[in-house]
Amino acid sequence: MTARSPAPATSPGNEDERLVIEAAKMDPRRFAELYEQNFDRVYAFVARRAGHRGEAEDVTAEVFHRALANLGRFEWRGAPFAAWLLQIASNALADRWQRAARERGEPSPETGDPRTHAEAERRALLAELVGRLPDDQQRVIRERFVEQKSIREIARELSRTEGAVKQLQFRALESLRAHMRDVNE
Amino acid sequence: MSDEARIDRLARALEAILADPRASRPPADPELADLLRIAHDLHDLPRPAFKARLGADLLRRATMTTAVGKPAGETIEGVTAYLAVRPAVELIDFVKRAFGAQELMRTFGSGGGVHAEVRIGDSKLMIGGGGAWGGTPTPTGLHLYVPDADLIYGRALGAGAESLYAPVDQPYGDREAGVRDLAGNHWYIATHRSGGHVPAGLGTVTPFLHPRGAPELIDFLKQAFAAEEMETHRGPEGAIAHAKIRVGGSVIEMGEAHGEWGPMPTMFYLYVGDVDAWYRRALAAGAVSLEAPAVQPYGERRAAVRDAFDNQWYLAEPAASRSDPQ
Repeated sequence: MTARSPAPATSPGNEDERLVIEAAKMDPRRFAELYEQNFDRVYAFVARRAGHRGEAEDVTAEVFHRALANLGRFEWRGAPFAAWLLQIASNALADRWQRAARERGEPSPETGDPRTHAEAERRALLAELVGRLPDDQQRVIRERFVEQKSIREIARELSRTEGAVKQLQFRALESLRAHMRDVNE
Repeated sequence: MSDEARIDRLARALEAILADPRASRPPADPELADLLRIAHDLHDLPRPAFKARLGADLLRRATMTTAVGKPAGETIEGVTAYLAVRPAVELIDFVKRAFGAQELMRTFGSGGGVHAEVRIGDSKLMIGGGGAWGGTPTPTGLHLYVPDADLIYGRALGAGAESLYAPVDQPYGDREAGVRDLAGNHWYIATHRSGGHVPAGLGTVTPFLHPRGAPELIDFLKQAFAAEEMETHRGPEGAIAHAKIRVGGSVIEMGEAHGEWGPMPTMFYLYVGDVDAWYRRALAAGAVSLEAPAVQPYGERRAAVRDAFDNQWYLAEPAASRSDPQ
């Protein structure tokens, strides 16, 4: 993927994707390409619905392991590969919820709303844009939002003032907003 | 509103979002609404180390399926170091205070021993033993990657560890320090200097062995557990200075014993697709049986072997998986 690609989280062309899937059926090591192309959207889809980060990671891992194991059964019918992965994710989440709901005697929530797919795309794009921020902004964003560290803690780790870290946080979010807007226009 | 005021207002609003990320609330500050919406979504950003580890795990499975031509169920899932020590409860407390470990579970056996599982970053460790436990302790060496080695080294000392060496810039590109914890484990606390703070292919914590005869141990791991050599660096005399060996979905590092860095035989827990098959394979590779495969009261089928370097390898799978391979 080129660094300047304007719409990084969108699927590659249908024909390209079909060829990669066919290649991966013959040689499962080619699955790595499908993983790279789809990781962010699957994780985004799952994370929004999972109770916590550990569950999001467990379910995401389950989705890709199931997909790899069942790739031979995937039939190309024109729908993107991502739709199949998100269906596996919906099923995996539903299984977990049903299990938990049975234990607690509660109904399980709905997973199949198509709006949620668009939301996964948006979040996947955001994840990719974070990867393109300057190193110091990227580090602040990851430590603040992924590691949940305080401004003070990050300032100490980076040997910067708290004001400087707040400014990096602000600039990073401004930059993400601008890029999201560019892509959506 | 000046930039400075907006930066401060954003910082305050983010505190509220991070304190309760699942709460949906109308944006309190219309000027910052777009930024806060993005911030809200960033909470679900994946950890780069998780993405790298899962990618490596999938590739390994794919490679094994291709090479051996058998289903991935016959594989090794991952290797977890088991720190069996007398001050087990104190060690659990230490890893929490020093390294921010999360305690996943803790149980007490009928003999008074403790068994716990903790997560540090993306890695799991098992800690067991306790004052009432009569076994032989197996403290070990562990390579821990953190965003700031100096800071964590300071925290480890503050939590009661002894320094093995103060933070230093290593020629291989890591900032690294060493400490010995109260149970005798060695922690090599490092920050990788290029890319992320964890090198590609490794997790937050990787067991680090110093065997006498590293090439023979690597051969054993290949024969017994289908290990792959990811990287090997030799010193001027030809001895292995550093090797990364993939076993299942995990990595074990090692370097030939030298000077004060001598062997610390380690206990490992491996989740496998077929305990009996891997047990037979380990014995054929020269391991000695410690336990024949048997179903344990807690619902796992388990076996154990010891290699020629005194490392113990516990092989386990859910007991039900023998009758239901799916």
